[in-house]
Amino acid sequence: MTTTIQVRTAVVARGLTKVYGEGDAAVHALRGIDVDFAAEAFTAIMGPSGSGKSTLMHCLAGLDTVTDGRVSIGGVEITGLNDKQLTLLRRERVGFIFQAFNLLPTLTAEQNIRLPLEIAGRQADQELFDRVIETVGLRDRLKHKPSELSGGQQQRVAVARALISKPEVIFADEPTGNLDSRSGAEVLAFLRRSVRELGQTIVMVTHDPVAASYADRVVFLRDGLLVREVERPTPQTVLDTLMALEA
Amino acid sequence: MFRTTLTGLLAHRVRLLLTCLAIVLGVGFIAGTFVLTDTMNAGFVQSFAADADKVDVVVTPKGGAGPDENLPESVLAAIRAVPGVKDAQPMVSGDVPLIGRDGKVVGDYPTAGVSIPPSRIKITSGRAPSAADEAVLDEDTAETQGFAPGATIAVLDQAGKRQEFRLVGVFDVGLDQELAYRGAVAFTPGTARRLTGAEGFTEIDVLSSGPSPESLRTAVAAAVGDAKVVTGRERAEELARRNHMDTSSFRLGLLLFGAVALLVAALVIYNTFNILVAQRMREMALLRCIGATKRQVFGSIVLESAVVGLLSSALGLLTGLGLGAAAVAVLRAVGADIPTGTVSLSPLTIVVGMCTGTIVTMAAALLPARQATRVPPLAALRTQVEEHTFRTGVVRVVVAALFVLAGVGLTAAGVSQGPSQEALLTVMAGGVLVFFAVLILGPAIVRPLSGLAGWVPARLFGVPGRLAVDNARRNPKRAATTTVALTVGVTLMTFMAVLSSTMRTTVQDQLDQQFPADYILSSQTGTIPRPIADTLRGSRELATVTEFREEKAKVNGRDYKVGTVTQSAIGTAIKPEASSGTMDGFGAGDVAVADNVARDLGVTVGDTVTVASGGKSTPLEVVAVLKSDVSMLPSFTMAEQSFERHFGRVGDAQVLVNAADGVDPGRARKIVDDATAAYPAVKVSSTTEIRGQFDEALDSILMVVTGLLALAIVISLLGIANTLSLSVHERTRESALLRALGLTRPQLRGMLSVEALVLGLVGAIVGVVLGIAYGWAATATFTEDVSFQLPIVQILVFIAASGLAAVLAAVLPARRAARASVVGALAAS
Ligand SMILES: Nc1ncnc2c1ncn2[C@@H]1O[C@H](COP(=O)(O)OP(=O)(O)OP(=O)(O)O)[C@@H](O)[C@H]1O
Ligand SMILES: [Mg+2]
Repeated sequence: MTTTIQVRTAVVARGLTKVYGEGDAAVHALRGIDVDFAAEAFTAIMGPSGSGKSTLMHCLAGLDTVTDGRVSIGGVEITGLNDKQLTLLRRERVGFIFQAFNLLPTLTAEQNIRLPLEIAGRQADQELFDRVIETVGLRDRLKHKPSELSGGQQQRVAVARALISKPEVIFADEPTGNLDSRSGAEVLAFLRRSVRELGQTIVMVTHDPVAASYADRVVFLRDGLLVREVERPTPQTVLDTLMALEA
Repeated sequence: MFRTTLTGLLAHRVRLLLTCLAIVLGVGFIAGTFVLTDTMNAGFVQSFAADADKVDVVVTPKGGAGPDENLPESVLAAIRAVPGVKDAQPMVSGDVPLIGRDGKVVGDYPTAGVSIPPSRIKITSGRAPSAADEAVLDEDTAETQGFAPGATIAVLDQAGKRQEFRLVGVFDVGLDQELAYRGAVAFTPGTARRLTGAEGFTEIDVLSSGPSPESLRTAVAAAVGDAKVVTGRERAEELARRNHMDTSSFRLGLLLFGAVALLVAALVIYNTFNILVAQRMREMALLRCIGATKRQVFGSIVLESAVVGLLSSALGLLTGLGLGAAAVAVLRAVGADIPTGTVSLSPLTIVVGMCTGTIVTMAAALLPARQATRVPPLAALRTQVEEHTFRTGVVRVVVAALFVLAGVGLTAAGVSQGPSQEALLTVMAGGVLVFFAVLILGPAIVRPLSGLAGWVPARLFGVPGRLAVDNARRNPKRAATTTVALTVGVTLMTFMAVLSSTMRTTVQDQLDQQFPADYILSSQTGTIPRPIADTLRGSRELATVTEFREEKAKVNGRDYKVGTVTQSAIGTAIKPEASSGTMDGFGAGDVAVADNVARDLGVTVGDTVTVASGGKSTPLEVVAVLKSDVSMLPSFTMAEQSFERHFGRVGDAQVLVNAADGVDPGRARKIVDDATAAYPAVKVSSTTEIRGQFDEALDSILMVVTGLLALAIVISLLGIANTLSLSVHERTRESALLRALGLTRPQLRGMLSVEALVLGLVGAIVGVVLGIAYGWAATATFTEDVSFQLPIVQILVFIAASGLAAVLAAVLPARRAARASVVGALAAS
């Protein structure tokens, strides 16, 4: 049984090229990547170390400038925007979860969660807030400072923060890299639930085949090129693909 | 370990730059002070040495200055008779009021009339006076009055008679402070004596016909008896020493400000090293892990501070040389009489500069170095940098409480002690203790204060504002040290502002209250002829004319000034304040005594004193003891009639004039000027003018002190810039995160500006509070009736300027933080 679903794409990259440095010292981190990320889907980016995963994510999110090619988020072309415009775009349309240091140490968990909205001068949708808090299970930790939270809890706060502003897309760079497998599994489960239940779009960079298996689709990079894709991955299919790539 | 330290230093050189600048400025100021005073001293020695050889032996009175102490006439002949004396030249000095182009005497004090031996006088144009009708003027007066050689000048002789002379030259008074201040006319000895009526000589210079100065000195000493006899060289050395003392106290005054600057620099250094140690926690722990001992870690930090201290002190010396040279140039340009000498760093300056700079730096780094030894090797394994939680410890509270108690106690004791020098010193000592308490309590009070100072900014600037206030409060120790450095300067500035405004109002209130006059008449020849007051009284435009008269007399056997005041003025035009008794119904046979004199003589209201002079004696009953602080009345005030009966008809010492209501000031002034036009010695000054001069003098003192304190403020601002840039460095990842979440560059810059603003405001607020409290306490020890006056505008300016300056200090760190690329900062671990 095949059903054709009309999928909207959240992020589009065409001919994306990124070169660090010049002349002999030039590093071609991305060598012309064409990729689409479907809306309301959970996509993982994988590849060997140095293959350009983080670079790709930074370029897609408008954190870094591209050498060549185009990127658009939610139909808005972001290549060519100036710093101010990119900042405003991030405010409105992009959420982030980093591997570490996701939270401001001076603010409580709740203040951290509300921070992007406050920066944008927007009111939190109380219903959404409650739902997000419920989803990530942080109700009794809201008044705590980050230093009083475990690593897993900190990452959950970061997830909640990314969800609360209902961005077009959330970029996550190895969000479970610093967590033990149980906390990691929890965070990944939340990410998947937020895609299923809240209709969120998530693009995640990871090294871990198990983490990648939570996604709907995995794209593989090697030497700055998109080399393979796997739909509905399992840890095993991901691992096999990786082995094949490194061979 | 040594190599590790040096590579560490090089790696952190940018972070240490501002610290170095703080020391460079402090040491530079101190070295500059030495360079300036050394240059001045060298100049003095040079010019005195040049004079020394012109005279072989100098004879001066034993006692000192004053007409009664002069060398008797007979001494000159006695010296001339000594074998080996080629020539003996006498020096005469007295008052010879010079009449200026406006027909009135020049200056506030009578011009000095002197005769200077030809061997000593420094003629700068024209020639020395050689005939009885010739005179020379000092350069300054000649220039300000516009007299050039060839002109005719007029002076008043001892009898107040006008005498004219031909100006044949202009001379330089050299380093004689008194002549420089009063201005001087020089004549031939005969003329000088005739004009001044001075008897005897103030100095006799002896030239030898062959014998050595030393042997001639012995011979002259034997001939003159009771006088001081020294060789020319000894005299030069003595004068140089005296000037040396002047420059020494000048130097000491400047060094005091240098010490304040260094104290502030020490706080900045302490803070920097503390922050650096905190930031290098991992590095230290790693060193410990691989086998470095606590001692080695401690040593590496101390060594680092020593290198920083030595380098900055050396730079400071160079800065000082430049500052000193600049100061000499500026002083010369504004006409200060600084003898030429080469500007250089003396060995003493180098030693003092290097030592203070290095010792201050190393001492300030000791505590942070000890902190570094406490880092456990395990810290190397921790990932997240710990937040600096601060809890106010019991020890801190107890120690601070002790300081507060002792400080406040001392201050209260000083204030309640009543006006005196000791009281002031007690209050100051209390102030120092309270300051230490603030220093210790700083981390505890800085949190609530930042909340207070940040209340408005947090609401005004939205999210960045609130984050900034949080950041200002997150590390209380760091914030406290940063702000206390600023507090030092602001406290002292506020203190001075409160002091001067209070003194201003106090003095003026009391003058206004006791002597509400529009014009004051005085005379340089002693008395004001009585007809002037009579003429003035005849004018309908003038409301009151109050005459003061004075004579010397013996009261109960001791010499005092006894005087009187226009009878009708008592209680109306002048309102003397009595500490006991009253001047109501003051009449013949009564006397009012100044409180200090009453204390000396041991008389109280009801006692009888006897005034005796010229063979007459008058018994008087004490009816009032008057406060002498601001009284214009003499030690003893008699009723007009009994004064006249005893002393006869004497001239006025002073006349106070009040215009009638509604009379144009210009018109009143003209009446007073016209009445005194015929009397060149009588000067008219308006109280507004006097007040203006007093204000001006006070303002310029305040300006100089504020200027000198500005250095401490600048250094503390470097501290703010330093703390912020180190914090920015520490929070690179946080800034990147905020930028990723949508904070724009201007917002990030604004956030740091607000943080600096809060720090600046906290420092200023504490400083202003301390300054006001101690300004009040200090003025309370000056006089009984202080009219405490808060210079509100000035204080608001201080607070606003501190905030603004702090924001400016944050410009560079803020720009650096905003410029950093988000991706790069996120990647940095
Ligand atoms: N700022 C930079 N300057 C120069 N080269 C860079 C820079 N950042 C990344 N690179 C290079 O670009 C290439 C891609 O780097 P990137 O960080 O994207 O890899 P990655 O796939 O995220 O690796 P990892 O799995 O180790 O995180 C690498 O060769 C890297 O050395
Ligand atoms: Mg990466």
